[in-house]
Amino acid sequence: MKDRLATLGGFAVGFALLFVVWHLAAVYLVHSVLFPPPAPVFWRGLDLIEDGILQEQVVASLRRILQGFLLGSAAGIPLGLAIGSFRPVRVLLEPWTEFFRFIPAVAMITVAVIWFGIGEESKVFLIAYTTIFVIIISTAAGVGAVAKDKLRAAQCLGANRWQLFSLVALPATLPFILTGMRLAMANSFVTIVAAELVASNDGLGKMLWDARLFMQVEDIFVALVTLGLLGFATDRAFRLAIRAFAGRFNPTM
Amino acid sequence: MALVRLEGVGKTFRGKGGSWEAVRDFSLALEEGEFCCLLGTSGCGKTTVLNMLAGFEPVTAGRILLDGQPVAGPGADRGVVFQGHDSLYDWLNALDNIAFGLRLAGMGKRARREKAGHFLRLVGLAGQEGKHPAELSGGMKQRIQIARALAADPRMLLMDEPFGALDAMTRAALQGELSRIWAETKKTVLFITHDIEEAVALATRVGVMTRGPGGTLKAVVPVDLPFPRERTSDGFMAVFRQVHALIHAEIHPQ
Repeated sequence: MKDRLATLGGFAVGFALLFVVWHLAAVYLVHSVLFPPPAPVFWRGLDLIEDGILQEQVVASLRRILQGFLLGSAAGIPLGLAIGSFRPVRVLLEPWTEFFRFIPAVAMITVAVIWFGIGEESKVFLIAYTTIFVIIISTAAGVGAVAKDKLRAAQCLGANRWQLFSLVALPATLPFILTGMRLAMANSFVTIVAAELVASNDGLGKMLWDARLFMQVEDIFVALVTLGLLGFATDRAFRLAIRAFAGRFNPTM
Repeated sequence: MALVRLEGVGKTFRGKGGSWEAVRDFSLALEEGEFCCLLGTSGCGKTTVLNMLAGFEPVTAGRILLDGQPVAGPGADRGVVFQGHDSLYDWLNALDNIAFGLRLAGMGKRARREKAGHFLRLVGLAGQEGKHPAELSGGMKQRIQIARALAADPRMLLMDEPFGALDAMTRAALQGELSRIWAETKKTVLFITHDIEEAVALATRVGVMTRGPGGTLKAVVPVDLPFPRERTSDGFMAVFRQVHALIHAEIHPQ
């Protein structure tokens, strides 16, 4: 409990310091309307919240992330398990994963828009795309890292193949799966902004783009700060989930 | 009739660098209820013998019979205690680790926890049932392994240098407890070690292997000493010297 308070205090000071540095840089170093200090950005953010505009963009972006992320995870976890468990599957699918993971989701925006239009489908597709390969690779690596003695011990206790998988390999792989999901979530933030910048009717990326078009510098900064805070909060939530799931038997997590 | 018969067992591994022989013409019969230690220098093939009997590795020569039936793969009739504690399930607490074999066999939660609790107390871990492996010491983890293997009620226990990674005092304490547990449960045990004192302290018979590669059984020394064994007694010393002479010839060949 004391540790947790100290952590929270540390975060608060860290964030405060960030805003102080920003303020000093904007007021004393740059002197430009193109780089506003935190205060006007903060007031502009409040206005946007009062009008309900900021929430709308946040919800639009987060909804896409969540849909694509869940879709990518739902497909990636079983594929990763299969690749890690069965050599023929690995040999067959490794060219796929190794091929596609070097084509970044940002590069796929063009085809996504051609195929799915500028609506929800293209965004969800891109988030799922950016999610799936990270999760496949970390899940497969997790299966490969299951200690041989864990499987042998279960065999000596009479485990059949299904029990070996469901009661040994799967729980042993869970921390790897969650870590892969955490990395994929970070990728999703990158991808959603890029996709909304290029083609979208709403979302934080669209907000950034419009603000640039109309030279609303404060709006740009509101969007940037919102992205940072959302990403930070999501990652903390993930770390807490990992700790709740896995930390109790693995103190390093 | 012997519980286990190893008849002219051999193991040759084939790999990229050609093939090499780990065990050659190894024959030994284990009687029901005996505690047999297999002693040898590192690399002599003693762990390979255990792995073949456990069913992890197929034999490449000879055969292994358990109750007259050839061994084909691992099974619940042979409980194994591993050297490291990688084999424990980190996500389960001590009690559920011990109950794992019972769960595999389809026993209900309450019944298996009750039975696992009995073995938890047998290995001296009363009060630790809720702890996860990461929260337990090396010695406690090995106790859990022993309890887990016993709870599944196997015909015999195979132990692969289970105390090798422990400090000397913990090791001596666990050796004493293992003797007591063996006397209580009457299980047949094959125990692999490279520690002469450990072998003489635990075994009713000590099998000494020749050095590797391609080790085989050199001699079997009966240990007719009462339990608990007094390590400084003349009888203990005499057996120790006898075994030591056999091993010494393998460490320092002419």
